[in-house]
Amino acid sequence: MKKALLRSGLIILSTFGVLFTSCKDDDDTEPTPASTEQNLTFHIHTNVGATSVVYGTNYAHTDGRTFNLSDLRYYISNIVLIKQDNSELPISGKVLLVNPSENEYSLGKVPVGSYKGFRFYLGLDSATNHTDPTTYTSENLFPIQTPSIHWSWNSGYIFMKIEGLVDTSLAGNGNVNFPFFYHVGLDQNTKTIDFTNEAFTVASGSDKEIGLEFDLLSTLTNVDMRTENATHTMDNMPLATKIADNWTISFEIE
Amino acid sequence: MDVPKGFPYPNIPPDNLPTANRINLGKKLFFDPILSRDSSKSCNSCHHTDKKFTDGLALSIGIDGNLTLRNSMTILNTAYQPYFFWDGGAPTLEQQTLAPIENPLEMDFDVNLVVERLIQHSEYPELFQKAYDLPPSPYTLVRAISNYERSLFTKKSRYDEYLYDNNTSALTASEINGMTIFFGEQGECFHCHGEYNFTDYSFKNNGLYLSYADSGRARITTNSSDVGKFKVPSLRNVEHTAPYMHDGSRATLEDVIEHYNTGGQPHPNKSGLIQPLNLTPQEKIDLVNFLKSLSDKE
Repeated sequence: MKKALLRSGLIILSTFGVLFTSCKDDDDTEPTPASTEQNLTFHIHTNVGATSVVYGTNYAHTDGRTFNLSDLRYYISNIVLIKQDNSELPISGKVLLVNPSENEYSLGKVPVGSYKGFRFYLGLDSATNHTDPTTYTSENLFPIQTPSIHWSWNSGYIFMKIEGLVDTSLAGNGNVNFPFFYHVGLDQNTKTIDFTNEAFTVASGSDKEIGLEFDLLSTLTNVDMRTENATHTMDNMPLATKIADNWTISFEIE
Repeated sequence: MDVPKGFPYPNIPPDNLPTANRINLGKKLFFDPILSRDSSKSCNSCHHTDKKFTDGLALSIGIDGNLTLRNSMTILNTAYQPYFFWDGGAPTLEQQTLAPIENPLEMDFDVNLVVERLIQHSEYPELFQKAYDLPPSPYTLVRAISNYERSLFTKKSRYDEYLYDNNTSALTASEINGMTIFFGEQGECFHCHGEYNFTDYSFKNNGLYLSYADSGRARITTNSSDVGKFKVPSLRNVEHTAPYMHDGSRATLEDVIEHYNTGGQPHPNKSGLIQPLNLTPQEKIDLVNFLKSLSDKE
């Protein structure tokens, strides 16, 4: 039924198209051919709750504990679009290093049409993760960043780096001065963020933007920042695993 | 490259084949504290040339007097290492080179900022250009240092003279007796410390502790079966690389032999090869004497 409606919609659209072009018959210019590809962009808001992250600003965790951030970056990779016929369109080689002060992440050109949805990794595939970072050229996001988001002691990338200060007083009424850090990586912590049922359409003639919201409070679900305030992943696997598991509930379509 | 007799020619990455310009550049960088945040520490700070590229400390001392987590390993014969660090966390020498620069306890610096310093330097840009036909970059920086390190080999020992030169008088009777224990089923040392570099590069728990403060290989793999496993070190020049073990907890070769003689602590991951040896006092002396015959003659 849905398909039938869609099809009739397309017929109506194309009818209008014919009418529209016929109006232009007076001058001799050829109609612009309908584009078959358009730019696709992720518009990502990196938030704490409903607030866009600004480094140094105090925020309240869900338990009321106050913290601020000095670094919050994460790798998104292996983006795959799902077409109407369930075939998959991988956005090959595209990796995003998301930070709160940037919202627009171009994925390049994709074919015009209707899509059933999409999915991506929070993290990297194993081969990419363990490649020598010095062999990458500055044209992508894999060379060593400043500050670094790569481990050299266990060669691989930090998928999400979260650093800042937290009030670790028992009652949560003290100073926001204790450094916390969550450096989460390691192959097995790569998570698929699944929006395969979030249909969207890339229409001819207009670039498409998909709005995404990442909420750090969701990533810190059940993380007691007073006692759980440090992980380099390997040295505190339970905490790293908890954070990585929370990634799957941290993204929403805007 | 001056590969010692009995050693194979090492596998060298095709993008970093040795040339004189590369080795010289790497050597200059190896001895230059420009790599550390406050320009106080070079690679040489923990890998002294007069201690066979170790530092004589149980745990190395990094920037600001920080105690590091592990004992400094020799970098002689590093061209043969299949992976790096006591826990094998770096898969190539080039990737290993990044770690001491970034480690907050060692040089505590940023590779990109090292490169900025090198680009501003009066000599380095030209030296990089000569060596790699490229300016200083993280890529050329780690390659130059690795290129120099791969050129560092051990030299001929009295054991090598005995083995390769058929010089039967190169070793004393005590050393020969120690060698027999070492390569025989009494000592079983050769299973892990075998072949030309006296290591099979495997990760082994040698029963040093019942409970490990440093989980070793498990820090990389996260497998509980890897707790307390560390890479088997080479024994060449072992006379000059005290103290011993990943944490430098054994001060002398006698202490090391005594550890293996007792069979170590019954850790569940302990290698089955580590069993009480029941060596006589003379046999322990012989073993130590044999180990000392593995030192470079010059």
